[in-house]
Amino acid sequence: MWSKRKEDEPPQRPEKSAISPAPAVEPQRKDITMSSPSRSFEPEPLTPSRSGGSAALGKNVTVKGQIFAREDLTIDGEVEGTVECHEHRLTIGPNARVQAGLKAREIIIQGSIQGNVDATDKIDIKKEAKLVGDIKTSRIVIEDGAYFKGSIDISKPQARGAQAGQPAAAATASAQPAVAATTSQAGTPSR
Amino acid sequence: MWLISRQAAACRSLLVLACGWTAVSPQVRPLHLYMKFGVPKGTVAKVASSDGQGVPRHSSGFDQFCGMLKMSDGLSVLDLSDASQANISFVTGLGHRISSDDIVGNMFQALGDDFSEGQQSEAKAARFLEQALTFPSGSFDGALVWDAFQFLGPPLINQTVEKLLRVVRPGGMILAFFNANEKIKEIPVSSYRIHDSKTLRQIPRGAPQRVRNFNNRAIERLFDAAASVKFFLTRDNLREVLIRR
Repeated sequence: MWSKRKEDEPPQRPEKSAISPAPAVEPQRKDITMSSPSRSFEPEPLTPSRSGGSAALGKNVTVKGQIFAREDLTIDGEVEGTVECHEHRLTIGPNARVQAGLKAREIIIQGSIQGNVDATDKIDIKKEAKLVGDIKTSRIVIEDGAYFKGSIDISKPQARGAQAGQPAAAATASAQPAVAATTSQAGTPSR
Repeated sequence: MWLISRQAAACRSLLVLACGWTAVSPQVRPLHLYMKFGVPKGTVAKVASSDGQGVPRHSSGFDQFCGMLKMSDGLSVLDLSDASQANISFVTGLGHRISSDDIVGNMFQALGDDFSEGQQSEAKAARFLEQALTFPSGSFDGALVWDAFQFLGPPLINQTVEKLLRVVRPGGMILAFFNANEKIKEIPVSSYRIHDSKTLRQIPRGAPQRVRNFNNRAIERLFDAAASVKFFLTRDNLREVLIRR
């Protein structure tokens, strides 16, 4: 006699489908560890976690440009340009072919390098390494069997600091005459 | 009594020879043995020790070369041996800069395994000259050639010496070793390691190569463009030559 109102009926729960919804796919995160020539690399502020890590370029990676690293870096691929790894260790792996100038605190060489190498602390050249270029460092270790062609300049850290201070002193001295010239020009009456 | 002592000396000499040359280091080998019995073939190869470190040999030529290094600071020295920790540490320890250019390695690369045969090919000889001594003129105050030049013949040796004299500054010094025994036709390729200012270590590096014999006159003609040439006699088969550019 009384028919159920549709309002009184409890809301029907939707049936669970046999096929579960596809899980959300997280967008792929690309860890960018190298800079490309088209955009300039702006180093992020130094944080404790970032300074303690290390980065690596695999043997199938090719980079043409400038590399700036604020952590230890291992290169096992091809690099053309410059690599700067101040206050950190730079390792050139056995498969690496580098045509670049290198700067780091410590440099370990196992692969092939054509370029000048500057290490503030130490350069370690392994027996399978091939290096053509000039070396500037405080200490050098070279294993028998390593191929090296170039010059070696050993400079102690104190001497490097003194040399670094000299250009600053020279710049200060050269700035003073420029200030004097500007003052004299300002004092010259204009016609 | 005199006859007995002579016979005893001869027996002692024969006993030393019977035990083999390797038992006697070059420094203590009596000079009269060379004069009486001559130098056995292959002495240089046998002198090297089995551990690969080489046997120390006194070098008067290197001693004089070091005299130049100790007189000034900040000199530039060219080492024509394969790069080694010993040589780098020694030269840089005296406050100088060292450059390495493995000229024997260039020979293997350009001339092949047989230097003498490879030099006959104009293309190979040209490739060697392209790779060797590629430095600006007057780059060095001293050059350590070691014994590399004795494996080269004319005209390649003349062209190489010309390049060397060009890269060494006037007044600079060049140290080179040449085989002094005409009976020896082949010599193992060696690396030279600096032990101290008067001592070198000669380490075998490769298979024997045909060696060209240079007498004093030939060496003087080779370095005709130099200011002076000084010879040092040694107890073994090497003639040490100090050339002033």
